[in-house]
Order: sequence, then structure tokens, then C-alpha cells
Amino acid sequence: MTSLSNEVRRARPLLGTYVEIATGGMPKEAAHRAIDAAFAAIEEVQRRMSFHDSESVLSRLNRDAARQAVRVDAETFTVLQTAAEVHRASGGMFDVTIAPPLQELGFLPGGRPSHRGARRASFADVELLPRRFVRFRRPDIRLDLGGIAKGFAVDQAVATLRRAGVPQGLVNAGGDLRAFGGSQRVAIRHPDRPQAAYCALPLHNAALATSAHYFAERWQPGQTLAPIIDPRTGRQGTPVRSATVRARTAMLADALTKVVMLGAKAALPALNHFRADAIFISALGEEKCSPRWHAALELSS
Amino acid sequence: MSDWKTFTVPAALVLSTSAPCFGTVYFTADQAQKAIFPGASCMPSGVKLTADQKKAIEKASDLRIRTDPQIWRVSGGGWFIMDEVVGKHEFITFAVGLTAGGAVKQVEIMEYRESYGGEVRDAKWRGQFVGKTAKDPLRLDQDIKNISGATLSSRHVTEGVRRALALYDIALK
Repeated sequence: MTSLSNEVRRARPLLGTYVEIATGGMPKEAAHRAIDAAFAAIEEVQRRMSFHDSESVLSRLNRDAARQAVRVDAETFTVLQTAAEVHRASGGMFDVTIAPPLQELGFLPGGRPSHRGARRASFADVELLPRRFVRFRRPDIRLDLGGIAKGFAVDQAVATLRRAGVPQGLVNAGGDLRAFGGSQRVAIRHPDRPQAAYCALPLHNAALATSAHYFAERWQPGQTLAPIIDPRTGRQGTPVRSATVRARTAMLADALTKVVMLGAKAALPALNHFRADAIFISALGEEKCSPRWHAALELSS
Repeated sequence: MSDWKTFTVPAALVLSTSAPCFGTVYFTADQAQKAIFPGASCMPSGVKLTADQKKAIEKASDLRIRTDPQIWRVSGGGWFIMDEVVGKHEFITFAVGLTAGGAVKQVEIMEYRESYGGEVRDAKWRGQFVGKTAKDPLRLDQDIKNISGATLSSRHVTEGVRRALALYDIALK
């Protein structure tokens, strides 16, 4: 299905990108109300998990959690628990304690925390305690949820739409998207020719996220927002040019694209752990697809 | 364990057209007004910016005015401003709803276009899309409404909203 029946499609600037929400199979007035509520859910995630907003829950953690355990809301705790699981399953290739190197490279505001141990800080130094308390074991920990919160915001918007009785729809936060209630066609942008699609895939009750960098000078429509840094070394540079992940939630798809960008073929155990799939284009131009997805795509052709 | 497969895009998944631009029309002015101010009515304000006002707005917002924004007055108080921003590869028509006190009530994207042929700075090229409605999609849009790709920054619209707030301060307050 290309288009939803009785489609309502809207977009707002949120999360630093364009967030698009489409609904189908619902009277338009009710659809608009549901979409308003879904945008509000995204704004709520933005308020809690923004690195830039000094009033956010995340900023409170970054300020206080090294001195004392800080209690957070259920949403933030869910994101941190998922971040912990992806960190473990990927052997540390995904790590939300990435803020200091991002600050050092100028991708995030603020100076690098002064304390530097012999060992690089990692998510293993973050304690998720009972009753949603969070504590940092080192004073130089700074969390940045930029690699996962956008996906979570998409999931929250989808949950809001479903609660409002929307039978089918799609939420797309600048390429991190999730479809529900019926199959929808999604195009993946070509990393070399941004004006064209690489391919278009059917998506059915699942999420898709793409992470890419574009070497060509001509690609600058607002810059890519997510610089990829290897948390194990603090260095930029990846063996992959474009990675697209399909997973059951947008939060997982969002986080796992970073694992594929850094790990390439070595991302497979993490993908399997979450029953997720990926297509990537390597820096050398190899195009690879994870086995389960490959089988499904062969069948659908 | 089974391993990665070389991916050759199956024929059925290849797009039949290589689109020269991605784009979507979300709202006409009337539809955006209803979405931002449900139940209210919007009347063209008749406000036309003078050269001095434009200069002051550009100075306050640090953003050029390329085309005159359209301004409506909302029954019961408030303003509806329709404006556009142009980036290197994208142009976006957007609507800002302001409360009677001049605070941002809501921002909606009305139309989004991107191109890589250098056309976006050409008013004539942009003009061919303006005023299309969501019911009247361009042929190229039909297959590719949902796109997954690297995240695009919404910086230009954020700047455009800042310009709308400067416009309120200078011309509507």
C-alpha cells in the first residue's frame, strides 16, 4: 500500500529535525486530535532527554548523578535500560556515555569534564538502581541520548496514536520511523545520490532507522546530525557509509544503526539478540544484508 | 550461524523513477489555520511590511526576507503567519500560530521540497509547487512519501520561527 486511506499527514520541526506523522482509516478531525497528542508526546521526550536543555532530566543526571543517586521518570529509565542492553549486546559499540568526546569535537556544547582516569569511562560505570535511581561511578560521566531518544520519541508517538484509536499510521523523525497497522512502502535515501532512493521496502508493524554519512560536498541539506564516534576509542570514522536497521521498535532501530555503522559485519550478534535486521553499504562500496531480512526481501520480490 | 548476504536490490523493490526531488505538501493555508486554531476563523490582516520594518526584522532575526510573509488575524486573538525558508537544498513553507500575547502556539510545516540541482534558490522553480494541495500530489511523490535517511536538521525553520517572532515585535504588537 503506497498511501493510507483517508490519509492525514503533518510535519513539525521537533528533535532538531522534521517529524512527520501520517494516519489512515480514521475520520480527519479525530485524526488531527490524535496527531496533536502524538506531537505533544514527542515534545515531552524532548523536554526530558535533551542534552542542550539545562532543565531536562538528562541534564540533572549529568550534573548530580556522580555525587548522589538521582531518581528519574519511567520514560527516561526505560531508555537507559535499553541503552544498557544494547551496550552489553554490542560489546560496547553503543554507549551513551559518549558526550565528552562529542563535546571535545564540538558536536555538543560545553567543555570536557576535567577528571580523566587511565581507563575511558563507559556505560559500565553507570548504575541503574531499584526504584528508578541512577548513579554514576565516576565524576567524568556525561550521558548523551542523541543516539536513542529520537527512536524512543517515535515509539511514544506511535503508542499515543494507538491509544487514540488510530488504526494505521507512520511516524518519521528525520529518517527514524515506525509503521503500524498495515504495510507501508518506505524508501531508503541513497548515500551517494541524496536526491534518489536506494531502494524502497515494505514495512509492516516495524521500525526502520538509517544512519549515514555523505562524503560528497554537494550533500549539505542541513548536515547530518549524528556524528558517529567509536565509544571504545573516542575516535571518529567508521567502516560503513550507510546503515539501515529494521527492528520492532524505533528505539532499538535507532540505537542499532550506530552498532552497524561501527561494527559492520561484527554487528550481527547484537542484531540477532534483538531479532533485528540490517542493510549496509561499506566504505568500500560493498552492499550487505543480514540473512533473515535477505530471505524476506527475496520472497517479496 | 548464517552470515551476511551480498545485497542486490530485488527488482520489485527498485523505484521505477529516480526522483529529481523529494517533497510533500502537508497543508493549504486554510487547513493549517484549522489545525493550529481549531474553531477560530482567520481573516487576512492586510498588514504589509514597509521597507524599514523589513530591515528591522532582518536585523533582529539575522535572516533575510526573500518573500513577503502572509499574515492573518485570528478571531478571539492571535496571529497566523505563513512564511518560507530556503536552505542550500531545501525550501520549506511553514505556518506559525502566535497567541494574542505573541508567544508561539504551534508550528506546522506546510510544504517541504528538496533538490540537488541548485534550483531551490530560484523563485520560479519554487513557484511551480506553491499552492498545490495535499489532494493534488506531484507524480513523483506518490511512491516515496516515507523516506529513511540521514537526519536532516530543522535549523532553517527554527530560524524562520525566530523571524516570525521578530515580525510580531516590530509590526504586529
